[in-house]
Amino acid sequence: MATYSTNEFRSGLKLMIDGDPCVIIDNEVVKPGKGQAFNRIKIRNLKSGRVVERTYKSGESVEAADVMDTELQYLYNDGEQWHFMHPETFEQMSADKTAVGDAKLWMKEQDMCTVTLWNGNPLAVTPPNFVVLSVTDTDPGLKGDTSGGGGKPATLETGAVVQVPLFIAIGEALKIDTRTGKYVSRAKD
Amino acid sequence: MTDSLKPEKQLKQWQASASFELIKLRADTLRTIRSFFDKNGLLEVDTPILSSASVPDPFIESFQTRYIPLTQTMQTEDYYLHTSPEFPMKRLLASGSGSIYQVSKVFRQGESGRKHNPEFTLLEWYRDGWDHHQLMHEVCQLLTLILSPDIELAEPQFLSYEDAFQTVLGINPHTVDKADLLACAEKAGLANVLDDNEHRDRFLELLFSHTIEPSLGKKRGKNKGKNRGESNELPCICLLYHYPASQASLAKTAVQNGQLIAERFEVFIDGMELGNGFHELNDAKEQKARFEADNQARKKMGHNEIPMDDNFLEAVGHLPECAGVAIGIERLLMIMSQSQHINDVIAFPFDRA
Repeated sequence: MATYSTNEFRSGLKLMIDGDPCVIIDNEVVKPGKGQAFNRIKIRNLKSGRVVERTYKSGESVEAADVMDTELQYLYNDGEQWHFMHPETFEQMSADKTAVGDAKLWMKEQDMCTVTLWNGNPLAVTPPNFVVLSVTDTDPGLKGDTSGGGGKPATLETGAVVQVPLFIAIGEALKIDTRTGKYVSRAKD
Repeated sequence: MTDSLKPEKQLKQWQASASFELIKLRADTLRTIRSFFDKNGLLEVDTPILSSASVPDPFIESFQTRYIPLTQTMQTEDYYLHTSPEFPMKRLLASGSGSIYQVSKVFRQGESGRKHNPEFTLLEWYRDGWDHHQLMHEVCQLLTLILSPDIELAEPQFLSYEDAFQTVLGINPHTVDKADLLACAEKAGLANVLDDNEHRDRFLELLFSHTIEPSLGKKRGKNKGKNRGESNELPCICLLYHYPASQASLAKTAVQNGQLIAERFEVFIDGMELGNGFHELNDAKEQKARFEADNQARKKMGHNEIPMDDNFLEAVGHLPECAGVAIGIERLLMIMSQSQHINDVIAFPFDRA
């Protein structure tokens, strides 16, 4: 069983905490000038997404989580499972609703996604930071209004709804920041 | 398209991580410190960084190195980089130097993080004939002089270690038993951090660093009419004094309200520890017993024992009544510049050194 000592703690390290795979998002050494040192870490539970704080006595070891990020191509959704393929080995893999989560709002067939595997099984799916999706429904575009003042909702091909400027029309391809779920610009092709 | 969350400017590894503005702030601060002590009649001294002995403190690790004679016929000898200039400075005091100060680089093994660099700058000074109460006021004076041009400070806060524990956790740190400490840790979300059989001082340190320290050196400022109801927290200089006798280190102990306490204090600003001071112990026998207990504790923890500094132990018996304090200069610069990481105030921190 692999373990990490507190002196190896850093952001991004994956640990098993209370039986769940977690990732360190912040590590702070708490060391009084004279006195016991502690590592206070902020961790995200990779299953539930919840962020909690934990303290360890410096020098202790914590079990490592066998968690690995892989870049896979999204193929299709069969209604229950989302199917992915490794671009070189062509190995296929499927993820369920829990693993895919909100990523489904931004996943277009053939896009590359980061699939996080825990003990070889998909645990979470992260879409690219920026995706290009076309508008399937929105109020008619207001020609000439390029001021950017105001906005309207637009439905994208994946079903996601984002706020867009008034001049956007059905059929246009938009660039979206998936981390914020916000419209960035019209896609330049 | 590049990732929009990337920092604007990536520093090259060879470049300084501190801005020139902060490199200049360090120079200005050291000038202010030297002029303050010159005016107050303290002598600036210079003591060895490399020493044949070191501190046996179980929670301070020294960098160890070897002296290799050129002829190679003699045996090599162990040497240590000092973790503070305390021992040789006290040897000077014991020789009759009077009040002295020093600014020096010190080294602590393994201490690296947002507030720690293994090599850092310590300002240490001793006041001949003073006790810790007098020195706490001078600490306040100097820090106010240094900080007030850059940041707005609330009135200084003088607080006993006991009062801090009573206010935040409702326990008396001198008398509380292990069961109550365990319950307190659990309530603070710190269950299972320490084994139940650890010394009670470890529990006090855990509770202190997680639940008390973050609130020290912060005060609600006077509201200036506008923005009423808005929290208006200002940093202040906090002097926390009278630690448990079991954490006396190199301080005298005394009985206060029927309770044995250490005449030791620490300085905090905005939730961060900046320094530590003592009404200095001048009983050589007691000091030796404490060092031996420290080495015993080290042995139990599986650490190497540190050779006793006999020169220092002999000098302790000749030490005049005095008080001394050490202040971390990088931490001070962090407060002045509101920096979040110690690397912002050091030209070449450990990962660039």
